[in-house]
Amino acid sequence: MTGRPLILIVDDEPQIQRFLGHALAASGYDTCFAATGQEGLTLAATSDPAAMILDLGLPDLNGKAVIERLRASSDIPIIVLSAHDQEMEKIMALDLGANDFVAKPFGIGELLARLRACLRQASRAPAGDSIRHGGLLIDLPAHSVTMGGQPLRLTPKEFDLLVTLARNPGRVLTHRQLLLQVWGPAHGEDVPYLRVFIGQLRQKIEAEPSQPKFIQTEPGVGYRWGGSD
Amino acid sequence: MPHKEATGDFVWAHKDCVNTVDRSAITAQNQAMQDQSNRMLPYDDRGWSALPSVWGGMGATAFLGLAALTTHLTLGLLPEPTGLFLFFAAVLLSAVRFGFWIGIASAFAAFAAFNFLFVLPLYTFRIAHPGDLVVLAEFLLVAGLTGFLAGRLREEADAAKGRAAVLEVLSSFASELAEAHDLAAIEHALSAHLAALALGPSVVLRPTDEVLQITAAFPVEASLDEASLDAADMQAADRAFRRRSTQDSTQPGWQGARFAFVPLVQNDTVVLVLGHHSLNRQRSDLRYREQAIEVICHQGNLAIERMGLAKAADEARITADRESLRASLLTSLSHDLRTPLATILGAITSLRELGDTLPPEARADLQLAIEEEAQRLSRYVDNLLQMTRMQAGLSLRLVWVDPGDVVAAAVARAARAFPTAQITVAGADLPMIRAEAALLEQALFNLIDNAVKFSAKPALVDIACAASTAEVTLTVTDHGPGIAPEAINHIFTPFFRANPAAPGTGLGLTICQGLVQALGGSLTAESPVQGMRGSALHIRLPLPTGPAR
Repeated sequence: MTGRPLILIVDDEPQIQRFLGHALAASGYDTCFAATGQEGLTLAATSDPAAMILDLGLPDLNGKAVIERLRASSDIPIIVLSAHDQEMEKIMALDLGANDFVAKPFGIGELLARLRACLRQASRAPAGDSIRHGGLLIDLPAHSVTMGGQPLRLTPKEFDLLVTLARNPGRVLTHRQLLLQVWGPAHGEDVPYLRVFIGQLRQKIEAEPSQPKFIQTEPGVGYRWGGSD
Repeated sequence: MPHKEATGDFVWAHKDCVNTVDRSAITAQNQAMQDQSNRMLPYDDRGWSALPSVWGGMGATAFLGLAALTTHLTLGLLPEPTGLFLFFAAVLLSAVRFGFWIGIASAFAAFAAFNFLFVLPLYTFRIAHPGDLVVLAEFLLVAGLTGFLAGRLREEADAAKGRAAVLEVLSSFASELAEAHDLAAIEHALSAHLAALALGPSVVLRPTDEVLQITAAFPVEASLDEASLDAADMQAADRAFRRRSTQDSTQPGWQGARFAFVPLVQNDTVVLVLGHHSLNRQRSDLRYREQAIEVICHQGNLAIERMGLAKAADEARITADRESLRASLLTSLSHDLRTPLATILGAITSLRELGDTLPPEARADLQLAIEEEAQRLSRYVDNLLQMTRMQAGLSLRLVWVDPGDVVAAAVARAARAFPTAQITVAGADLPMIRAEAALLEQALFNLIDNAVKFSAKPALVDIACAASTAEVTLTVTDHGPGIAPEAINHIFTPFFRANPAAPGTGLGLTICQGLVQALGGSLTAESPVQGMRGSALHIRLPLPTGPAR
């Protein structure tokens, strides 16, 4: 091992592999390639990559199947490459446990930023008693939140929602994931409900609720905790 | 007009007015039917108790006269009872020929005449012997029985004739329905056969925007304009349409309408309203004809339903085909446009953002990737444009073209696009053809592109040129693995890809074939060509037959 993180790229297009190889190598990563989902799963099991970049449109296995099987044994970060007409696929991939997505075509900077965020999140120790972002301090045992020392009054659901988001900095959490985690299995589809709570939460924690810094919207997909940057 | 005799009891109002229906077509279609219906109509349907006619009375009188005359002339020559038998014969004949009542009447007349003329005292009606009354009773018995039996016999014969006629109508209707492929044909069949069954004119009305319009009628000339259906008729038709129930003018409470109207209902919707002449309730075969009319209405309804289903199935198939082509095009567009774009954008942003950290050979490779992908995009766009042009109906600008020049141009373009490919051209000088050079070049280029794609690197592509007296053949041969036998019939199908993992759109050969066919030529595939490998695609273009070049 060279100490450089190994990135597994699963994409059937040789041209995409080609430029990703050069760009990732120049950015301080090692790369390995798989052209099929099966090959990707094998490589993920044998070469212990730090993260996976996965194209959703693979010739053999559906990208979602790859995520599902990989998640059974591993929680390495997965970044999904998706097309604009694969919106549902993308959301399902995120529901299944993909960490983030980048829509094709993309600039290399965007992909590298997402990759860095995922790797940082993965390397972070499991959440302790408190989460701190900027002026925001979440005290988990005390169920209290302060902003710049000032206590914020949150309802229990708002608190749960905030904690769920803040524990996954940089990661896209789909509507479904948030609803399941905070409200339970009966509410998986209550997206308008979620939107109301996100709005209330933004009113309380964001300095400029119309231009949120902590809770960023991924339109049609979900929300991302942006507090870490 | 022959059908007038058939319809008999009323006369159609003739009016020259503009119709929505093409009369000449209908007339032609109905001509055969009309002849047929004339053949089966009319026939005698008097019952055994039919009232006597004047002709019957005169006929019976003539028979009796003849009997009396013969008896008188043979008086003394033949034995006495002969005269009586002659009168018996006259009564018998009258009863057979003219029915029950004439028979009875002529029995009385015969008795009276025989008594008056030949029984003593002569020329009086006095009855000298009581035995003569027995003669009268015998006369009456013979006449009554004979008339009754003859009437019944005729009735049965008529009924059989009627059943045969009805069966003939039904079978002719069935065969015509089997050949009917549109609603109009079904309507014509319905109207013609209804007319034959109902022994009178018929109309078919189709509801269009809740308004009934006559779409077929029989006889054609008489009833295609709505003026020939009077207000009461139209009212009855409308009532049949609104209430979805048969409106028979012979039912109590109806007055004025001459037609019975039957709605054909499918899924609670009236598809047609059939109007037929109301049958005479006195007819001996009334029930039989009514049943046949029901059968015809039912069969017509089924035929319309069947046609609707077939049409719906056709439409569904066409829609599915179109949808599938559209889906293929979308998939192709999203994949074949996006991948080169993603590569170009990714490579360019890598160069810009990571330029300093990239080793020189990586930079060169990224630049090459950009160039290659831009060319791939350009080829794809070319193909898309050609396809659009072909679908929009290609207008050709044919000029004299040297095929050799076109081959050279295509090879030069291919050499730029695929620098590593080795392309050889063999063959003699070719005669000039009439073509559009750009189209032929595109077709050839697609074939070379295809050949390179399916060859191991470095790709070897051979182009052979040959000419016969009738055509020029350009053959592009590769040394790849060949085309699988199960795939060779599909390689010209849009978006078919023999190897889905290989890059490509599945459009190249389709477009190529379209281009060659537009130029009047043909494109065929042959594989394998050498041992177990390689495939050859032949473009054949006809030589112009006009004045020499």
